[in-house]
Amino acid sequence: MAISEPGRRLMHDVQLKFVQKKVKGGGGHGVNASLSLTSMIDFLVVTVVFLLMTFSASGETPAPAGMHMPKAENTLDMIDAPIVSINGSQILVDGTAAGNTRAIEDSKRLQRIDELFNMLKGKREVWKQLHPGKDFPGVVVLQIDQDVPAVVVKSAFQTAAFAGFPNVSFMVNSIPKSGTGGAKAE
Amino acid sequence: MAGVNVESGGHGGRRSVDSEINMIPMIDLLMVTISFLLITAVWSHMARINADAQVPGPPRPDEPIEKTEPEKVLHVEMRSPEKFVLIWKQGAQTITTIDVPRKDKLEVTNGFKEIRYPELAAKIESEWKSVGSHRAGSDKKFDQAILHTDNETQYVYVIGVIDAIYHPKRDFDLKGRPEKVPAFNVTFSVN
Repeated sequence: MAISEPGRRLMHDVQLKFVQKKVKGGGGHGVNASLSLTSMIDFLVVTVVFLLMTFSASGETPAPAGMHMPKAENTLDMIDAPIVSINGSQILVDGTAAGNTRAIEDSKRLQRIDELFNMLKGKREVWKQLHPGKDFPGVVVLQIDQDVPAVVVKSAFQTAAFAGFPNVSFMVNSIPKSGTGGAKAE
Repeated sequence: MAGVNVESGGHGGRRSVDSEINMIPMIDLLMVTISFLLITAVWSHMARINADAQVPGPPRPDEPIEKTEPEKVLHVEMRSPEKFVLIWKQGAQTITTIDVPRKDKLEVTNGFKEIRYPELAAKIESEWKSVGSHRAGSDKKFDQAILHTDNETQYVYVIGVIDAIYHPKRDFDLKGRPEKVPAFNVTFSVN
């Protein structure tokens, strides 16, 4: 048997095969992937700036589940005022039950909603006690489902006015202004 | 550790002036900020449409009562399914009556209805430009519009008409700053 020169035996004592491959060189590709920090931080900063610019502290009033409010174009920003919510036949004032609309829907006639009237009047009195000497703004926001009949809307509107809230606002979903008088921009 | 080395000399046995910015807290901060902003983001923006119940204020005995001529008021009738009727009235006297064909362009997206009346908005704007009384920016009063609707009409159609009435805009001096505001104040007719 001929004597042959031995080959390279460096790093032969490393037990783990993948480490052996790594330190000896050769073999497959490395399993580590490098991540560019610069582009990642750029992306994060841009995302933060975008979210900060679109952040709005007003208009975050949540609509109750199942309520669909109509959309409108010529709108104003939301204001801090009592919210009268009418969904189905239920009336809520700032989340507290204030009667229902069944009597109005049955009679199909405009009428005052007594529970709503009393609750709004109470809110007015509380505001006047908390802000003595100041003029009462008389603003109320009506949050009404899109399918509610007009007689209910008019009844709530009139009841609010009788209770001392003549400035009534209707809550809607804002849509961008097209500038064409409501015509869809082509 | 992730860090950025900012080299600026430090040779010749002097104390090194290199500083290392630690990236981990910075990335953590950005991630937390993004999470907060995404959680608190409002994707459906709520707004409001104003209406005025036209309730007279309390009497002021110290101020003399002036007899003024009644102002022109625009009455918008939406009782007919075929047309809108625009009526300019001054007191009990009818000045003009205009019919506008009614075309309900109802669009439903994810259950949300959207109705728009571009022809009505355009006609109201042209009427206000020719008949409206309060157009100067310094004028603190607004032209009045009264909406007449039947009791069965759905709320979404009422909002569509109010939106059309609010389409004409005028200048308004707000603390010396001109702003574009709706030309009309809207109220409901209880009849």
